[in-house]
Amino acid sequence: MRGLRRRLTAMPEASGVEIMLMNEPLASGSLTSASLLALLQLASPALPVGAYSYSEGLEMLVEQGAIATAAELQTWLATELTQGAIQLEAAIAHRAQQAAQRHQWSQLSAWNHWLSATRETSELRQQSWQMGQSLLKLLVALDADCSEPAAQLGTPCNYAIAYGLAAAHWQWPAAVALLAYLQSWAANLTTAGVKLVPLGQTAGQQILLALAAPLQAAAQAAIARPDTQLDSCSWGTSLASLAHARQYSRLFRS
Amino acid sequence: MSAAANRLPLRLMSGCGLLIEGTRRSAAFQPWRGQLDLRYQRQGDQTQLRHQYARAPLKVQRPFYPEGPTVCHTVMLHTAGGIVGGDRLQQTIDLGRDTAALLTTAAATKIYRSNGAIAQQNITIQLAPGAVLEWLPQEAIVFNGARFEQNLRVELAPGATFLGWEIVRFGRSARGEQFVSGDWRSRLEIWQDGRPLWLDRQWLPGAPETFHSPNALAGCPVVGSLVWLGLPLTAEFIEQAQAALTERSHCHHAAGGVTPTLGDGLLCRYRGTSTTAARQALTAVWQLLRVKLAIAPCQRCASGPEPL
Repeated sequence: MRGLRRRLTAMPEASGVEIMLMNEPLASGSLTSASLLALLQLASPALPVGAYSYSEGLEMLVEQGAIATAAELQTWLATELTQGAIQLEAAIAHRAQQAAQRHQWSQLSAWNHWLSATRETSELRQQSWQMGQSLLKLLVALDADCSEPAAQLGTPCNYAIAYGLAAAHWQWPAAVALLAYLQSWAANLTTAGVKLVPLGQTAGQQILLALAAPLQAAAQAAIARPDTQLDSCSWGTSLASLAHARQYSRLFRS
Repeated sequence: MSAAANRLPLRLMSGCGLLIEGTRRSAAFQPWRGQLDLRYQRQGDQTQLRHQYARAPLKVQRPFYPEGPTVCHTVMLHTAGGIVGGDRLQQTIDLGRDTAALLTTAAATKIYRSNGAIAQQNITIQLAPGAVLEWLPQEAIVFNGARFEQNLRVELAPGATFLGWEIVRFGRSARGEQFVSGDWRSRLEIWQDGRPLWLDRQWLPGAPETFHSPNALAGCPVVGSLVWLGLPLTAEFIEQAQAALTERSHCHHAAGGVTPTLGDGLLCRYRGTSTTAARQALTAVWQLLRVKLAIAPCQRCASGPEPL
């Protein structure tokens, strides 16, 4: 990471803007404006990979009454960021970025298999594969340089893996890439929650802003966590997702 | 625990009960380095336990054949009453070609409050082509303040079948205890030809929030998982398993579900308040899978495998 930063800051990019984060341990990144624009585009919740159609069990939790208020939605998302499957996903996105930076395609592929095997339910696996496949296709269409790793990966490709590839390709500093990845996840699920509970748009924005601390902690943990501790506490999501597959009336695909 | 323990004959009760626990306590602060190696081979139509090695506190009972020579039933014992921080338990189970074994434990595994050290149990299972292992230990009771880590890794040859469950009670809830401090991790990894088929990396950090939050236990101290990998299952079978589980998940605020895994397997999750109910729910799915495996449903095992 430090090496990458030296390379980036040494670049004679007059228009380069430097993003410094408030949180000290994350402040190791710098970003060119071109790289930032690519990040804003590819980590956007509006990226056409279908993220809006998934609720990761929220739809069932709302029906069951486990999430009925803005505060409960916020606590659910904050807890997932601390212990849930998403912090595991972020840790793998980070490993995928590292593998892609070093052109270790077999390593990238191994993490892809690893992630597929940890998906708790069929719905959650399908979500990760569908979004991953869409993002991979998009990356190849946007830049031909992505074709080699895409071909190496084959199908199915998990979303976190395709994102790691993009992060390496556009040279996003790891901490920044992870914050954007996690924020995009939180924004999508907040939107889903706003629709489902339902809540006002302002309440949704308040929730998202209030998630700043768990988002930063999750990004930091994804980098720091050793491979031996890639564990998650997913009983809630798993059971909600299992029940969602049998839910009578559904807006969302997970 | 109590329901299971009540069924145990006196012989076993003394083996895992207070007497030996007392001995253990007098040998204070000496963590165990237990080991158990079991190797099965097929001889004619019988599965035989051909090699065994045990180091205290782990032991194994003489294998028995309650349902004919094909399936070798084996009961493992922890003779010291429970697992304490700092303990290291190692198990290696090896099933040769076309063998079938059902492994269980003599009693619930108690995992005591730790004074800081982590207790670790590592289990490695090798299954040769055609081998069938039913891994059905009795439940674990995780005391408040326990620090425990289990790593169970299965090498599944193509054509082999693994069926395993894990039932855990967090806190001695009968006496009102909750698991609100400590750390529990249980990892089940099933690999085939160098590729992971199922990686279950469960973590429960002990905290009041985790105990009550819908993300984790939602106030239900009992969780159970059953996983099956080997022969392909149809969508209809998954439905059948779901129905069997739902039928037994009505009471005790329980929730449960079934889903296909990678590699044509099945995963079943359960969360509730009673270990007996969890066993009954998972046993219903297990019995369906036995029919699928063309092993007769175990008549004596209506509420789970029962040691002699």
